[in-house]
Amino acid sequence: VKPDLRVRIGGLELSNPVGLASGTFGYGSEYEELVDTDSVGALYTKAVTLEPRQGNPVPRIVETPSGMLNSIGLANPGLDAFLKDKLPGLRSRRCAVFVNVAGSSEEEYVEVVSRIEAAVGAWTPGGKSGVDGYEINVSCPNVRHGGLAFGTDPVQVERLTRALRDSTDRPLVVKLTPNVADIAGIAKAAEAGGADAVSCINTLVGMVIDTRRRVSAIALGTGGLSGPAIRPIGVACCYKAARAVGIPVIGIGGIMRAEDALQYLLAGARAIQVGTGTFVDPRCALSVLEGIGSWMEERDVAAVADIAGMLQA
Amino acid sequence: VRQFEAEILENRPVAEAWRELVIDWDPAAGEPRAGQFFMVRVSTFSDPLLRRPLAFSSFRRAFSSFRRAQLDDGARASDGKARASAIYQIRGGATRLLSELATGSRIDVIGPLGKAFPEPAEGETALLAGGGIGLGPLLFMDDILSGGDAAKARRLVLGFRSSSLLPSIDLPEGTVVCTDDGSSGFKGSPVDWLSRNARKATEDGLVRVYGCGPAPMLAALAGLSAELGWPASLSAEQWMACGVGACMGCALPRADGLGYLRACADGPVFEAGDVDWKAGR
Repeated sequence: VKPDLRVRIGGLELSNPVGLASGTFGYGSEYEELVDTDSVGALYTKAVTLEPRQGNPVPRIVETPSGMLNSIGLANPGLDAFLKDKLPGLRSRRCAVFVNVAGSSEEEYVEVVSRIEAAVGAWTPGGKSGVDGYEINVSCPNVRHGGLAFGTDPVQVERLTRALRDSTDRPLVVKLTPNVADIAGIAKAAEAGGADAVSCINTLVGMVIDTRRRVSAIALGTGGLSGPAIRPIGVACCYKAARAVGIPVIGIGGIMRAEDALQYLLAGARAIQVGTGTFVDPRCALSVLEGIGSWMEERDVAAVADIAGMLQA
Repeated sequence: VRQFEAEILENRPVAEAWRELVIDWDPAAGEPRAGQFFMVRVSTFSDPLLRRPLAFSSFRRAFSSFRRAQLDDGARASDGKARASAIYQIRGGATRLLSELATGSRIDVIGPLGKAFPEPAEGETALLAGGGIGLGPLLFMDDILSGGDAAKARRLVLGFRSSSLLPSIDLPEGTVVCTDDGSSGFKGSPVDWLSRNARKATEDGLVRVYGCGPAPMLAALAGLSAELGWPASLSAEQWMACGVGACMGCALPRADGLGYLRACADGPVFEAGDVDWKAGR
């Protein structure tokens, strides 16, 4: 029997647990010739903010042991250009599309979501409006206002989530930062505010110094660390979050192979996202998906949701 | 653009820390043009993690076995397959690993990527200026401009630190070699040479500059071109993660101050006036 790979996020059913992480796949068209997104469960867009953002000074990236630092600064064309230029392309996607939303204030997040709602209309599960849900970015370490400032405070996370909950019936995923003492507490706050899922983790604050020139390798000093280097932290965060909330947890951080994804699923995540892995191998998400299926078949695991209960004490 | 496994046909030293990589090219990926690049995954382990961008230094279409006998050993070894090459410098762990890959081994390739050099307009003489390891794309462009009956007027000017660092590559006839220490050819940089010979080049007619090299050289070349009113197409270098325009990591500041351009997708070849070359890394 073929294993059942379907995953439920709020009222939305994903065909499988594998997603393409925000910030690593643009708005889908950039990888058009290299990756067939029809097979993945979900695509999480590059963040959308109310106004266009040019992004941070350069250099913005540097490679680190088994990872990389980035400080892009939410560079994006802004809401108007998103609606005009990016949304039409998203409508033709067969996979679920989550629009990642960022802002400097609660009002900005709410305005972005409300105006997208107005553009795509009321939600009908399975409808092809181009937007199947939102991922709320309260965890970007590379902007001065918003981002991390929201994500490290459970009171603000709950309030922001509630405000967005009132703005949309579409599934709402809150993306959490690992740069906190207690990620379980933040996950609970998102759940209390009405989130349908939490995704974790966003990047960890890191720094690389060029000793020859005595400057930071990243123009703004610090950046966000991603890649296999952060995988154990991501797995631990998912493990903690999954035990604290009843809503699904979506695992992110250093997934390169099916085995990595299975660590997250065993830790309690219901779905996963591939991010930096796509840079290394654009087909990474597809091979991860195939590997999860084979793993389940070999062990007669009927449904992907069953994996969470398989971790031995 | 395709992702495919290529066979390494050659990976030979051409100077102390320089190598020429030759791979068989999947025709389904499309024909690379001068100025474009490809990304290679040098290891299947997670360190080094990211792919490395390599600029094409030549491309040869697939040919029939009938023609094989007339070609050199390297071409014969490719068994008639299309072949692409890049000249790279060993700078760190990833390029060190790349240099250790043996002939016959396979490598994961994505390409061709990025914008190519534009063709010179009717009547324009191409001045191709390359600094150090930046010579690769210019050798490729020179090769294209030399093409058969439709050969275009051109001058290739290459700069090296010293004669001892000259690569063992057959340079096209008429190449001007410059060395910083004067140990071979013209003493000074390719920009110095162009500056010195600018008047004559301009008198001879219209000019288009093609450049690739270290950031200070590109800044100087952009400055000289602006001063003399020469159109210039310069190939930028920047760290890259995705190589396809998705991550916004390889940004370069625009000359007009209105944000950034992506080296991978908007470039790597830019019109000189579009980029703030002095702000580069």
